[in-house]
Amino acid sequence: MKHLLTLVLCLAATPVLANRVFVSNEKGNDVTVLDSETLEVIGSYPVGNRPRGITISPDGKELYVCASDDDLVRVFDPETMEETHTLPSGPDPELFVLHPSGNPLYIANEDDNLVTVVDTETHQVLAEIPVGVEPEGMGVSPDGKVVINTSETTNMAHFIDSETFEITANVLVDSRPRFAEYNHDGSKLYVSAEIGGTVSVIDPSTQEIVHKIEFEIPGVLPEAIQPVGVRVTSDGSRVFVALGPANRVAVIDGETDEVLEYLLVGQRVWQMAFTPDEKLLFTTNGNSNDVSVIDVESLEVVKSVPVGQQPWGVVVAPD
Amino acid sequence: MKYILTLILAMAAGSALAASGGVDPTWPCIQRKQPHLSLGQVWSGPPPDEETEELARDPEIAALADRLEQRRLPLEEAEAEIAEFAKQADASRLTALMVAIFDRIEPERSAIIAGIARYGESQVAISKRIEERRARMEEMEAAEEPDFDAIDAEEEALDWDQRILTERQQSLTYVCETPVLLEQRAFALGRALSAHID
Repeated sequence: MKHLLTLVLCLAATPVLANRVFVSNEKGNDVTVLDSETLEVIGSYPVGNRPRGITISPDGKELYVCASDDDLVRVFDPETMEETHTLPSGPDPELFVLHPSGNPLYIANEDDNLVTVVDTETHQVLAEIPVGVEPEGMGVSPDGKVVINTSETTNMAHFIDSETFEITANVLVDSRPRFAEYNHDGSKLYVSAEIGGTVSVIDPSTQEIVHKIEFEIPGVLPEAIQPVGVRVTSDGSRVFVALGPANRVAVIDGETDEVLEYLLVGQRVWQMAFTPDEKLLFTTNGNSNDVSVIDVESLEVVKSVPVGQQPWGVVVAPD
Repeated sequence: MKYILTLILAMAAGSALAASGGVDPTWPCIQRKQPHLSLGQVWSGPPPDEETEELARDPEIAALADRLEQRRLPLEEAEAEIAEFAKQADASRLTALMVAIFDRIEPERSAIIAGIARYGESQVAISKRIEERRARMEEMEAAEEPDFDAIDAEEEALDWDQRILTERQQSLTYVCETPVLLEQRAFALGRALSAHID
């Protein structure tokens, strides 16, 4: 009986798993690490020059950072934040996406119109894929078969076959596309356009734009509404879009593509990341130098946490 | 020379940008040009109506806004003053204070933006003048009987122009940060004020 009681008590007392949250600070040249449970800063660690894109391997063992001004990707042990090795990236890496299996890594090279594909185990460049002018946003289909790159000046989303590295389709979207994100069943692809001020909803099977999400915020000039980061809940029901200097995150119904709400976060909100349980969403606010924490269920901004100088990207460690 | 080349390249890239997205090609900052700030960017409280606009001119609110707007007043102290004010202020008075703060910060910011735009234009003018001087010097040096005094004078003028261009280029980073600092101030005050509205 006593044992049973202990077991029950233990179960009851099992703490919610805390995950590490990693924020790249573009100007501070470091990464701030937060605890997703206490929302306190654990520490900040130098990671090279102008860190922007940041992601983590599915097993949580390797943290990848685009060190844009060092022209390479730096890889860290997420626990110790010690640099373990670097990966070749081509010049000025800004954003990248990992294949769902954790290998390879697809990197957008803004300055030379290429997507570089790097094997994360052998550290070799597998391919350099020519794309449009100023490649930026990178997305990957849930089955890993299609990689999306957006080119800022050509205003296109390029569909790339992840086996052959060939472009299979190009979709013209609005001005300055910044980010591409699939929903989890792969039925919709969202592409944000910073200057166009829209998010195109693309049907990946036909490569056609089925809807364009527009934004209107009372009291905010239209030119301040600049959609960048996009995140979708795994059930596809909610889409979050970071609106840059509008300082808001738009909440969209994933079924109807309608905007439900605008949440005031911090200044120049750029990228976002969910905790694995999708209870919280973290946003990087480049001008207020903080991270806002959104409660996904209640759609409330529960906290803002000061981080380093010009926070850019964010990733949460898996469970 | 490298600076001029960079500037020219930057201008060329700027005009390519302008063609693609309506961006001002003479704007010299990395930060995108945003001529005006709107209240909604820094305020999530109730939208102001005529009554709050009127209230914003109330002497107590106006005086407080004058004080809070000053960047030399540390944010913690500003927040404390806001908390004190909020004890007896309803939502419309709090909104009015935000309107009053915004009406002070926004014109200041717009004036700075206009100043930076002029700064950018004059940098372009200086770099053009440097090119002209350079061409003139080459012409003078190629003359059959070069006038060395005139060449020296031209060279000195060229040095000065280059120095001005370079120094101004270096202070640009700081100049460009100023509108951002004002936005940060407006946002931080907006956040502090709206925290007192349920």
